[in-house]
Amino acid sequence: MAVLPRRIIKETQRLMQEPVPGISAVPDDSNARYFHVIVTGPEDSPFEGGLFKLELFLPEDYPMSAPKVRFITKIYHPNIDRLGRICLDILKDKWSPALQIRTVLLSIQALLSAPNPDDPLANDVAELWKVNEIEAIRNAKEWTRRYAMDN
Amino acid sequence: MAASQENESDMDFSDNDCYDYNNYYNDDDSDVEHVDPMKVDPEYFEYRCLSEEEVERLLNESVESLSNCLRISPTLAKVLLHGHHWNSNEVIRKYKDNPSQTIIWAKINPPSPQSIMTSNYYTCPVCVTPQHVEKFSHLPCGHKFCKDCWITHFEVQINQGISTSISCMAKDCVVLVPESFVLMHLQHKTNIREKYQHFVFQDYVKSHPELRFCPGPNCPIIVHSREIKAKKSICEQCKTAFCFRCGCDYHAPTDCQVIKKWLIKCADDSETANYISAHTKDCPKCHICIEKNGGCNHMQCYNCKHDFCWMCLGDWKSHGSEYYECSRYRENPNIAHESVHAQAREALTKYLHYYERWENHSKSLKLEEQTLEKLRDRINEKVMSGLGTWIDWQYLFASANLLAKCRYTLQYTYPFAYYMDAGPRKELFEYQQAQLEAEIENLSWKIERAETTDRGDLENQMDIAEKRRTTLLKDFLDV
Ligand SMILES: [Zn+2]
Ligand SMILES: [Zn+2]
Ligand SMILES: [Zn+2]
Ligand SMILES: [Zn+2]
Repeated sequence: MAVLPRRIIKETQRLMQEPVPGISAVPDDSNARYFHVIVTGPEDSPFEGGLFKLELFLPEDYPMSAPKVRFITKIYHPNIDRLGRICLDILKDKWSPALQIRTVLLSIQALLSAPNPDDPLANDVAELWKVNEIEAIRNAKEWTRRYAMDN
Repeated sequence: MAASQENESDMDFSDNDCYDYNNYYNDDDSDVEHVDPMKVDPEYFEYRCLSEEEVERLLNESVESLSNCLRISPTLAKVLLHGHHWNSNEVIRKYKDNPSQTIIWAKINPPSPQSIMTSNYYTCPVCVTPQHVEKFSHLPCGHKFCKDCWITHFEVQINQGISTSISCMAKDCVVLVPESFVLMHLQHKTNIREKYQHFVFQDYVKSHPELRFCPGPNCPIIVHSREIKAKKSICEQCKTAFCFRCGCDYHAPTDCQVIKKWLIKCADDSETANYISAHTKDCPKCHICIEKNGGCNHMQCYNCKHDFCWMCLGDWKSHGSEYYECSRYRENPNIAHESVHAQAREALTKYLHYYERWENHSKSLKLEEQTLEKLRDRINEKVMSGLGTWIDWQYLFASANLLAKCRYTLQYTYPFAYYMDAGPRKELFEYQQAQLEAEIENLSWKIERAETTDRGDLENQMDIAEKRRTTLLKDFLDV
């Protein structure tokens, strides 16, 4: 395996030394570009009390290209589809090489606090979120209890 | 370029000296009496087929003249032109009005000025490596990154096909990287630099309304016209004919948006329309099965010799008359009061009416191409056996070409009619369409029986058909 760029080493060190509250990101033992991520459901959100597993991979041309991130734990959210793919601008056209793993994870945490049904990835979820927010939030809480707790 | 020479001595910004009054096509017109060619030929179109080098020269001339006029760098002039669809006058107007805002709007300068740090050592925010300040470079926004990181950034972007829209690496910075900055960093990277220059050129041509890549396969030609209209251009090199405005197959009298809508509709509804693609129909009189093997829609049953129309199966005798009703769709006047189901059926019937005729003329065009091939063989034989010379038979080829041209226009009248609102204008259109339809079938009939048709008669028919076509285009071609 190619030598790990200084940038990745520095970022990893900082993630370990000063972790972001509510987020843990640990590099895989066999691949330093692969991170096991756990995001705690933010307070006062329908995801509160849940622990959400994600995977994060730094592609060969990182940081010129964005990291690849995906939810592994099932989640009921208008911007996250059934395969766990996330609709987030900084992971696509708004990516900048000056952004970091830390900023990406913070943005994902913020997305859990403030779902945006006007920019949907999961259409049926977004639709319900717009027409009947109470029911959508009830579903999200139910999914959190069923898939993101006690394991 | 006499005009720009004169201006070099007095470079004041009076409004008259640098606007783009280009007499590109009209240079020699002064002693010729001015006749509007559009009045004679509604499809008249002036354009030139240019090579990549010629287009590059053309773009450079615009850049140079703008940079002289506004006394700005060629780099800045180029970015401004590209950001304004190469409209020099608009750039000049905006720049004279508010130069700094124009440069911010074009994403050359940042909205708020940055303070540039002046220490000797600096840590690159991307590779987090501390290096001497000489190893860094930055755009007007002041965001410093080491040159190696800039190079990698450009490589990644270029490999995704991005060129003129590459921006600064800083978070939320909108400043665009100008061509000269990229080329400076890639001076030792020949492959990627050439790739970049190729993409940049593509972007320039695509953003320039007066330029259009020839859509012919692997054709390098670029068509240039001052008149940005949906007119027919024919590539000098590969002979592809296309609409200058949208680059698709030429489509007069239908306009670019409507033909796009129509083609999408046809693709979506192809299943429904499939059943009509049959090549055989029964003779309406003796009911024997007849195969269509020519382009002409005037059919004659080989069994009972009955003359009928392939499209509507009506008697041909009534077709030749004043009002050829076959092309016209008769809408149900009470449709608004019918059930939803009936309305849907009516909508489908209406679409199929136009689609059948559109499709049929397209097929006829192909069949007539085969007729022309056979004709070529027969004429070859004749000439070889001493029956006249090549020149003697040229009129037959001319008539076949004219037939193709007329039928092509006729084919494109159907989407036009389909989307037209009912009313007197549509009635006039359908009247002219019917006339054209009738004359084209007469011409096709005569060409299929070319050797027995009198030459004068055929030439007369050509004249009539082309007149009908031009009349329709004069009245309805609005590009
Ligand atoms: Zn910047
Ligand atoms: Zn760097
Ligand atoms: Zn061509
Ligand atoms: Zn067009």
